[in-house]
Amino acid sequence: MWPFDASIESLWLGLYLATFALHAVFVSYVAAGAGYALVAALRGSADPIAARVRDWLPFMLGAGITAGVGPLLFVQLLYQRRFYTANLLLGPRWGAVVPALIIGFYALYLAKASERRRRLALGVAVACFAFVAWSWTELRLVMMDEPAWRAMYAAGARFYAEPAVVPRLVVWLGAMLSLFAVIAAWGAAPAERRRLAGLALGGLIVCGATTAIKVTLGRDFDPAHGWSYILAVSAIAAAVGWGWIGRRPDGPGLAVATAATTAALVAGTVVREAPRLAMIERARGASGNAGGILVFAVTLVLGVVAIRWIVRTVREHP
Amino acid sequence: MSPLESPIPYYPVNDFGPLMKGLVIGGVGIFHVFLAQFAIGGGMLMWYFERRGQRGHHDARTFVDGYFRILVLVSFVVGALTGVAMWFTTIQVGARTIGLMIDEFHWLWATEWVWFAVEITAGYAFYRYGPRLADRARLQLLALYAGASWMSLFWINGILSWQLTPGGWLDGGGVWAGFFNPSFWPSLVFRTAVSTTLGALVGCIVINTMDLPRDRKAALIRRAARFAAPIAGMPVIALWFMAVLPADSRSWLLGGSMAMTMFVGIAAGASLLIGGYVIVGLLVQRLYINGATATLLLALAFGATAAGEFVREGARKPYTVRGALYSTSIRPGEVAALRVSGATAGDPYPLRESYPSEQLARGARVVRTLCDACHTMRGANALVELTRTWSDDQLRLNLAKLQHTKGFMPPFAGNAEDVEAVVQLLRWERGERLTGFAASSSSDTLAQIARWLDEAGTEPAGAAR
Repeated sequence: MWPFDASIESLWLGLYLATFALHAVFVSYVAAGAGYALVAALRGSADPIAARVRDWLPFMLGAGITAGVGPLLFVQLLYQRRFYTANLLLGPRWGAVVPALIIGFYALYLAKASERRRRLALGVAVACFAFVAWSWTELRLVMMDEPAWRAMYAAGARFYAEPAVVPRLVVWLGAMLSLFAVIAAWGAAPAERRRLAGLALGGLIVCGATTAIKVTLGRDFDPAHGWSYILAVSAIAAAVGWGWIGRRPDGPGLAVATAATTAALVAGTVVREAPRLAMIERARGASGNAGGILVFAVTLVLGVVAIRWIVRTVREHP
Repeated sequence: MSPLESPIPYYPVNDFGPLMKGLVIGGVGIFHVFLAQFAIGGGMLMWYFERRGQRGHHDARTFVDGYFRILVLVSFVVGALTGVAMWFTTIQVGARTIGLMIDEFHWLWATEWVWFAVEITAGYAFYRYGPRLADRARLQLLALYAGASWMSLFWINGILSWQLTPGGWLDGGGVWAGFFNPSFWPSLVFRTAVSTTLGALVGCIVINTMDLPRDRKAALIRRAARFAAPIAGMPVIALWFMAVLPADSRSWLLGGSMAMTMFVGIAAGASLLIGGYVIVGLLVQRLYINGATATLLLALAFGATAAGEFVREGARKPYTVRGALYSTSIRPGEVAALRVSGATAGDPYPLRESYPSEQLARGARVVRTLCDACHTMRGANALVELTRTWSDDQLRLNLAKLQHTKGFMPPFAGNAEDVEAVVQLLRWERGERLTGFAASSSSDTLAQIARWLDEAGTEPAGAAR
């Protein structure tokens, strides 16, 4: 099934996409959740969703960073030269994502612990995460724009100020709102779910409208072997699910929205990757036959079992 | 040629000003290693104290709940993020090196990542739910946390030690021959001992902050100090490590390179001081250690870690992966071809600075390609200062026979024109970049350099292993 075949690169690609989707879930919760908590703090409202979000944000950021190591590993196998070149071209400014994440993490702890400094802490955290999202977006676009590399290097340019950055960031913002709403809704009361439904629908509309404008203006629609249609149908189904929640918050709408958002996430991950697939580097030297895959597979099973045991253990002591 | 098509990957090179790149990666690396090893030892210490707490020693339980918050807040996130920072920094310093490591060991790296994920999940679960969990679950969670963090060390240790002693991997033995390389076990034992020591020293600092009478704190300190006892074995572990090193690397550590010898001395001296205090003071004489002294010992341990990492990095020279990749990011087998084509024939990136002549520009490109990984022009390990007193012919000879000039330098991977361009560039830089600089190089000079290059050959000074 496209984009997968029997090659080792396909296996790397599958693992890259799977780990990236997992990473996206966590970071969406963090970025959109921090924004949500900031708005609630600025409004001074005693919002129970915001209180829960603040409580979970540090953990979710830790989980997001940990999950992010997976795609970071596989992207170096798939697009090694492009990835390293983009890293080097953006240079120290790209490296600043690490201190930004450290500052963001401790700001989230501060927001959780101190009511007095909450607004400032959340503001700092949101600024840090926005910087990281912007940097990743630029990095990806630089990776793909090989003709621009020499000029960028000669000019010592650390920013990739191309128009493509903005719509890409806006689509991500919409997707993050939608993913955040799904996770937050599962622990929310019915009235809170209505509010999250509004947020999710807003996110879906932002995604859809930006994509429509981009496709119309750029005339560059890529069906990605049907994955784009699966994405569109899933997003519509998610919107229907959220609409259902708006009418009956305790009904099956949340299950529908969750399933549809999951399908949209999977399809969206493939569609996002489609323009880069032709750039995948063939296995270099012995990399295609590198040993250890069996150990990884066994460890992965053990790891999943261990994490499942941890979740079950803590659930028994709520 | 497109940057994506050249057989030898050329990457855009960043200038870190007066900082040599080794200092940049060393700074991040030492910080990361220190935090990561503390997290491992801290996990083991907590499991031990939790077990004691469940056997009726209430203070031990109080310690676990207080200590763990510090561990989580400091080491988890900063440790994890500096790990990512290590990746990014390595790309800045030696993209081809990290690429080779990923290519060869990606499945083992992915294995390490799974253990890391288990470690983080177990740690957060304990942090968040620990006080509510049953004793058995607490102990199991801490055991899982400590075990997973050590397994993370196990896997990454194999990859890092492979860089220094690739062992049977060089003969086509594959991933496992490279992973279980000659320095794997001494390095693993060494790092485990450092981890438990760091956990114990931080533990002693935390115990001093607890609101307990002095005798009860002393009882906890004596227990924590047991985890620092393995540092007494450092001399033996160090000898074991030395024994498996390649002969040339060992000779640099034992006097061949004074800088490295001094760092060996610092690491050994600091370890000896910590070990002496722990064994004689804490375990034999059962002395009390206050927070200030424990912090001082921890600072010494940081110094020992820093010096040890410097030694590990330095002992690999002239390689980043021994026998496979030079510190110039050029493979040994590529040197002969570069002697013909020139070092920068495939480099697609322009210079950011303009030079008064084409020859000086060529020199700058050669320096960027071959020297920049370890040298700066005027900052740390400055080329201008290292060569200031050399005559022009001496410079030509020393560059052409680079691996014989100093055994930890790789063979010069360029042709006679490249050598001469670097010589003229250094003359120009030493002369404070005079605008009216006149280069002087004749065909006789180039012929002489070519003879020296031929005499030096393309092989490194030391054996590959």
